[in-house]
Amino acid sequence: MAEMTRRERIMTASGKKRVDKLPFFHIWRHCQIGWVERECRNRGMGMSWARPSYIVEMHGVEVSEQQLMVDGKKVYRRTYSTPVGSIYLDERRDPGSGEWHGLRSWKDVQPWQTERLIKRPEDYEVLKYVVEHTEYVPDYFPIEQAKDWLGEDGLVTDFLPHQPMQMLMIDWIGSEGGRFFIHHAKYPDLVEDLYRAIARSREPMYEIAAKSPADIVWCGDNIDGVLVNPRLFEKYFMPEYEKMAKICHEHGKLLAVHMDGRVGVLKDLITKTPIDIIEALHPPPMGDLPIGEALSLWKDKVIWTGFPGSVYVLGPEATKRHALNLLREVVPGDRLCIEMSTENLVSNENLLMLTSVLENAELPLTREKIDQIERSLS
Amino acid sequence: MAVEKYLVSLKGSIVNLDFDTVVKVAQEAMEAGVDPRRAINEGMVSGMAIVGEKFEKGEYFLSELVVAAEVMKEGLKVVNPYLKEEGSQRLGKVVIATVEGDHHDLGKGIVTSLLRVHGFEVVDLGVDVATERIIDAVKEHQPDIVGMSALLTLTMPKMGEVIEALKAASFREKVKVILGGTPVTLEFAESIGADHRAVNALEGVKKCVEWVTPQ
Repeated sequence: MAEMTRRERIMTASGKKRVDKLPFFHIWRHCQIGWVERECRNRGMGMSWARPSYIVEMHGVEVSEQQLMVDGKKVYRRTYSTPVGSIYLDERRDPGSGEWHGLRSWKDVQPWQTERLIKRPEDYEVLKYVVEHTEYVPDYFPIEQAKDWLGEDGLVTDFLPHQPMQMLMIDWIGSEGGRFFIHHAKYPDLVEDLYRAIARSREPMYEIAAKSPADIVWCGDNIDGVLVNPRLFEKYFMPEYEKMAKICHEHGKLLAVHMDGRVGVLKDLITKTPIDIIEALHPPPMGDLPIGEALSLWKDKVIWTGFPGSVYVLGPEATKRHALNLLREVVPGDRLCIEMSTENLVSNENLLMLTSVLENAELPLTREKIDQIERSLS
Repeated sequence: MAVEKYLVSLKGSIVNLDFDTVVKVAQEAMEAGVDPRRAINEGMVSGMAIVGEKFEKGEYFLSELVVAAEVMKEGLKVVNPYLKEEGSQRLGKVVIATVEGDHHDLGKGIVTSLLRVHGFEVVDLGVDVATERIIDAVKEHQPDIVGMSALLTLTMPKMGEVIEALKAASFREKVKVILGGTPVTLEFAESIGADHRAVNALEGVKKCVEWVTPQ
């Protein structure tokens, strides 16, 4: 087999076909820039770059931001004023916010919301107004630009935000102190009504994404089965994935969903979804579903597995051990890509070590080939 | 209504996650002269025990655990004013925090609620708590247990920093240290010298109860 480009490897594996080497790539926004990144890319590491295909326009909603001191700490308060009232959120931003990727800090941490948009039952009506007066307008320039720049070095995905119920759970109501669960139990009608409004407003966004020049549509959903239990997943998440997948498939796109948490409890339900790529699956010790079991259970899906930060914390030797064990578990290595990290920055030492293990992972993987890789590193 | 019926109803309101019933029945029970301690222990705490069993069997999930604890809080708001001061038995004291740089608090919040339900006094320092503040709290409150949580691998080393600071302050031998958080592995917990890494909130609380219960 002729050597494939990094992009061909990822796309071919994602299409469930055999490739020459196990595809491995870094996520652009978590990737360091410098000699190690260059060396690892020269040794086969690809790059995945997520960009949106739309811009957001709000009508009849005034958005303002101010800096305040709350409990002795600086916060950024963003206020949404509408004819039916105002809501606000407070954010704390670590050093470097706005100077790294998006609002990520130097340490690659997103701003912390210390106050969520929804605090009281009255806030639902205001947020519903905001949602219903939000328009998604196609803008394919960011994706076209990234594709042009990246070329065959990797993949550009079309980034979609948390889907409606996850938006409420993680972003707008928030899970601090179990707030989302408590609201869902105490005010089910308000939660459901807002969920439906968000779902309606998102439909044009899905169509824009499906028609974009990106290779794959990627929903950054951060699924964790401990938070999103099977009942919630089945009722609110699966219908949304069906909606997304239908339009993506109609336009020849694959749908990837970010599921980086403990998904063991959802594994059978995930099988039933039309998602093409389970992205960021974290096997133990960080997640609870072994990669071998996931591959054998989800036979019509591809897995992009996230290398666990819990292992990186233990250093390059632990990284090597975990990577070799991972290869042994996935023999022959089909329907799989390795993401160097889906959450935080990776140290130079760990990135080099992981690349050293993966650069020679020719498919089909065999025990002998993996033993040979191990010997070459000792 | 007989006392037993109030207790059964209180228990049921917790298991059924029923905010309205717990408040209504707790009020009626207090007005009918039911011993508030029985209302708590044989009513609501018994309900929480059933919720815990259902959680362990996979019938209930984290959402139910959280909501049940919240329902119990509403019930306690009614019953607590009827409790007399004397005889309040504390099982143990816990200082708990999400370590510096980390603002996640769902897991810590659940553990805190469950510890309180089980009779612990909990000093919850909140999120993004600096090591020095944890040590100061340990010095001030003299707890039996220090609990730390982290959801970011980036902040996990802070847990080791706290344990080292406990040693430097000569407090390490006086407290048990328990860790929680998705990325916190057993291997990591052992490597920094913690006493336990909780698999989930219930298991962590069980371990705390075990530590403070005389053998």
